[in-house]
Amino acid sequence: MNGWDGFLHGLSVATQPGVLIYCVLGVLLGTFVGVLPGIGAMATISLLLPITYYLSPEAALVMLAGVYYGSQYGGAVASILLRLPGTPQSAITTLDGYPLAQKGRAGVALFTSMISSFAGSMIGILVLILLSGALAQAAIAFGAAEYAAMMILGLVAASTVGAKHPAKSMAMVVLGLILGCVGTDVNSGEQRFIFGQTELMDGINLVALAMGLFGVAEVISNIRVAERTGVPPRVALRDLLPSRAELRRIPFPALRGASLGSFFGALPGTGSTISSFLAYATERRISRRSEQFGKGAVEGIAGPEAANNAAAISAFVPTLSLGIPGDPIMALMLGALVIHGVQPGPLMLDARPDMFWGLIASFGIGNLLLLVLNLPLIGIWVSMLRIPFRWLYPAILIFVSLGVYSVRGSSFDIFAVALIGVIGYALSLARFNPALLLLGFVLGPLIETNLRRALLIGRGDPMVFLQRPIAAAFILAAGALIVMAVVQVLRRRAPEADEAET
Amino acid sequence: MKRDIPDLVGGVLLAAIGLFVVFYTLAHYEIGSLRRMGPGFFPAVLGAALALLGGMVALPALARQDDAVQIAWKECLAVLAAILIFAAGLDRLGLVLVTLTSVLIASLAAPDRRIGWRIVLALVVTALSVAVFSFGLKMTVPLWPGR
Repeated sequence: MNGWDGFLHGLSVATQPGVLIYCVLGVLLGTFVGVLPGIGAMATISLLLPITYYLSPEAALVMLAGVYYGSQYGGAVASILLRLPGTPQSAITTLDGYPLAQKGRAGVALFTSMISSFAGSMIGILVLILLSGALAQAAIAFGAAEYAAMMILGLVAASTVGAKHPAKSMAMVVLGLILGCVGTDVNSGEQRFIFGQTELMDGINLVALAMGLFGVAEVISNIRVAERTGVPPRVALRDLLPSRAELRRIPFPALRGASLGSFFGALPGTGSTISSFLAYATERRISRRSEQFGKGAVEGIAGPEAANNAAAISAFVPTLSLGIPGDPIMALMLGALVIHGVQPGPLMLDARPDMFWGLIASFGIGNLLLLVLNLPLIGIWVSMLRIPFRWLYPAILIFVSLGVYSVRGSSFDIFAVALIGVIGYALSLARFNPALLLLGFVLGPLIETNLRRALLIGRGDPMVFLQRPIAAAFILAAGALIVMAVVQVLRRRAPEADEAET
Repeated sequence: MKRDIPDLVGGVLLAAIGLFVVFYTLAHYEIGSLRRMGPGFFPAVLGAALALLGGMVALPALARQDDAVQIAWKECLAVLAAILIFAAGLDRLGLVLVTLTSVLIASLAAPDRRIGWRIVLALVVTALSVAVFSFGLKMTVPLWPGR
């Protein structure tokens, strides 16, 4: 099935009422949690994960994906109105969005972010269609060595690119890999690290881990912070209309942002946050009005917002075509696919065309819905910011507990969530990134299996990773990233040491 | 004396976990060879890596000032208590009573001192969770004590 036929087929899947309704639900919920600082896509998707057991696989994935890209739209609202990023990806939007809002142009900032988000998503979808078919073709030739090498590259990239403390990030990835070992070893049947707890035989529950790290931990750290937010200004529909001069400044930054975002989103390990920062830096550098950046430049909203939405969509390229999640949210998506008995990877295109193309088509429908709904509903979304966090978090805690209980009716998992939540809070206090832990956790068993298989085929010779050109390229790239990270850290430390001596 | 306490404690703890994993693995699981890895191979390597990384986080932290970290004790305690009570009470007290209790406990962490909103919130969340999980998703969970 080529791209166009596939997309048409996908449309017929995604417009089935049983799927469409969950698409609408997903994008609305995504916008809602994106708007609210304190709950993000990560927490919401892990919260919804157990509920999707009750849905068809297509509906489940369409809804979860809708939450993800919907939250990218919503995230900008709090960034612009309160200078408080609703999602990490929209942090950069505060730089020019908030000054615009202070000048009374909040509506224009919101319009710019919505329309650029839409443009970014559409380009992301195009890239997804073009790339994933080709990549899946190429990936059929991948063996265990290539898979293992690629996943290692993904983890190294996720913990080094743009990281301030690569050692801390890598420690999180490794801790995640170790937690992934808990439970029955698939190769030998041995029970590892279960310490007599039969509940751990199937491994640590992904839902419990994700909810503890992102639901509970974020609630704890946000109770105090979220109460201090100011009151957002009112935004009426007619405030959204930009002037003609402002309108002309949107398309090219959005286009450049979208291309950057699609590229970095598709690379494993680098995600939408990094691409939005890069898009901002690019716009500021090439703009003729660079002195306006930080004071309310429309370009400074259009570029990053297009970039993070494009990246959110193109992040599905490695997830769907290779079965390798590039970022933690994709790791959850992969988990959701596996829960529903779908094995993502090069064979998925042929084995589950309904799922693959239905999901892609739903991106198109979902983003169109977001654009059509969000512009008129903007007043409602803005008023959501008036809901105090204290009304929300007790409900979140109950839904987290019930959600994790519903997976297999086990109170053990609720206790586990409490423990993991405290650990997650401690990690975030010490500025360790728990998202990387989750990425390691999901990839761990996949890496171990492929590593063992590759070395078995290679008769125990580790050179097998360097003799095969594709695997060698991945390993070399991972090595280069580590070297770059070490150099960067040493260079940063050098001036500090000088200061200490004087 | 300059110390970056979060990094120091975090690094040391991670290194300790790493070492524990290495020793526990060596004591309990077969390592095997590169060609035929035993169940202990991968965890042993990871444990060693974690120990190394933990050291790399902790050592530089010895000569660095930390930005004071504020621990939200009250919030942490209230949230933890709410979840633990929920976990312990769900099977015995039933969904309705345990949700009411847990919401009230969780709400203790909120800065708003008044009482009314807590009760309203507890009732609303209970109604929602019964509607969504018990009636909507038909989850098998007792609604009242002693079924």
